[in-house]
Amino acid sequence: MAILLMLAAAAAQVPPDGHALFNERCGGCHLQGGFGTMAIARSHSGEPALLAERHPAADLVRAVVRNGFRSMPPIRRAELDDATLGRIASYLAEGGK
Amino acid sequence: MMSMPIVSPAALRRTLQAFERIVGPDHVYADVEGRHGYTDAFSPFDDPAAQEPLAAVAPASAEEVQAIVRIAAEQGIALWPISRGKNFGYGGASPRIPGIVMLDLVRMNRIIEVDPDMGYAILEPGVGFDDLYHYLIDHRIPLWTSAPAHTWGSVVGNALERGVGYTPYGEHAAQVCGLEVVLPTGELVRTGMGAMPGSKAWPLFKYGFGPSWDGMFMQSNFGIVTKMGLWLMPEPEATLNLSMSLPRVEDLPAAIDALRPLKVSGVVQANPSFGNAIRTLATRNIRSSYWDGKGVMPQDALDAAAAKAGIGQWNFSVRLFGYEKVNEFNAGLVRDAFAKAVKVDFKESRWHRGEDLRHSGSPVPSLSVLRIVDWLGGPGGHLTFSPISPFRGDEAWKQYQTTRALYERHGFDYYGGFTAGERYLNHITMIVFNRDDAEMTARARTLFKALIATAAANGWGEYRTHIQWYDQVAQTYSFNKGALGRMNQAVKDALDPKGILAPGKMGIWPRRYRENG
Repeated sequence: MAILLMLAAAAAQVPPDGHALFNERCGGCHLQGGFGTMAIARSHSGEPALLAERHPAADLVRAVVRNGFRSMPPIRRAELDDATLGRIASYLAEGGK
Repeated sequence: MMSMPIVSPAALRRTLQAFERIVGPDHVYADVEGRHGYTDAFSPFDDPAAQEPLAAVAPASAEEVQAIVRIAAEQGIALWPISRGKNFGYGGASPRIPGIVMLDLVRMNRIIEVDPDMGYAILEPGVGFDDLYHYLIDHRIPLWTSAPAHTWGSVVGNALERGVGYTPYGEHAAQVCGLEVVLPTGELVRTGMGAMPGSKAWPLFKYGFGPSWDGMFMQSNFGIVTKMGLWLMPEPEATLNLSMSLPRVEDLPAAIDALRPLKVSGVVQANPSFGNAIRTLATRNIRSSYWDGKGVMPQDALDAAAAKAGIGQWNFSVRLFGYEKVNEFNAGLVRDAFAKAVKVDFKESRWHRGEDLRHSGSPVPSLSVLRIVDWLGGPGGHLTFSPISPFRGDEAWKQYQTTRALYERHGFDYYGGFTAGERYLNHITMIVFNRDDAEMTARARTLFKALIATAAANGWGEYRTHIQWYDQVAQTYSFNKGALGRMNQAVKDALDPKGILAPGKMGIWPRRYRENG
């Protein structure tokens, strides 16, 4: 029981992974049916529209998030710090894995 | 236009170094990328970067805000506070003028207290509608939020801007009870009962003793709100939704007159919103999917698109919240009132506690409404024009016809709706344009000016406006040669003697800006 409790405590301290962060911070627009997914479907017909299936380069993700792109507003460091953005960018670059 | 005090590079450097000592170097942003986030992402101007701030600082506590304000006052550097920067259609995260430092409050995101019995929360300005929603769900607290059309923004910021939602608590400014405020001198005050050490009624009794000041910090630049008491609605036993699609544009006045007595008497407590066909169509797809032409979408094309989508020319819901038996009784009153006015029946749906909240009327987190900005294909921009109308069908009809005619004369589709207050209608319309089309954005600006002037000539004032039109709208509130504006200036000068807080917010300029001008 003690070991289980220790494992549970350790798990609680692990920061959320890229997948969870992406869903939480980007999912409002970039999951199925979202505004971002619909916009990508229009501009990249025939390609996957879900970001998690597009393998965007991590640097591209960072640039778009900080500068905004088309109808997506920029996301500021104060609301999404560089380390968290880096984990999301790596997750997307690796094809949502 | 006022003349702007110049900030020397040396003063800015000293100030930012001092800010870094307060909040840490990771929370002061002065590089190009760091500043770029403080622009209006949906701007109607060709170069929104021209408004960019000198830098930004993001404190984590009221004490840090106080320290920052004192430094800014010493150095004469103006601050522009934002809560979460999602005031889309009204300027977003952008300051009114460049040459200032943003005070970004998004890191102050603590939900300090929620009382399930008394039905209130005490919040910091960085708390988003989504955050509060999830907090209440995760902690199994049977209270509901009220939120505007998208839930990305700040609960505190939206209430301070007098935003609206669609539950019985939808007039958000009316739910505010008690503020903690950092004044432009750095002094910390608490309003109402919060001024009494040991009081347990700060978020319960709105007035305290003596003058009552919560309203003074709404849509103003008199202080920085660092905590807010906000009343939350107890989860109802049930909701009953009556939705209606009016087939003819000219059905609007009769429907408004049918609703008015139900609102004034309190039978309907939420804020039904009569939205036109384009408002519904734009949430589903871009215009070219319905009609692929240039200029204003013709009425026959709109009729065809609405018929195909199964919607009316005006679409609205009257949702009743509360005890099931009361809802059923009140639904009868609503049905009877509308049966006398229009020839359409309501579609009805019911939700009971414990069922999926997505069908309840509780504002579950959503950003889907943002897609309306791409109505013309994008990259989307929008400007929100939102005059108040008396709650009368004839007056709303006149305002609608006048507004739509102006939109169409300038080559834009009329996108709008009337949201019901208790005794007024909030006519929220949007000019949607493509930001990469300079001719179109110029036309949007021309239209906006015409809307303000025409509305004022008819006695219709805006309840809120885009940051770049604060002065023009403030000037329309001109009774007794602008007495209200002079009073605002006097208060500003008394509370902000150094003139450092949000210069120009709502058309209120500090003395040093007025004198430079």
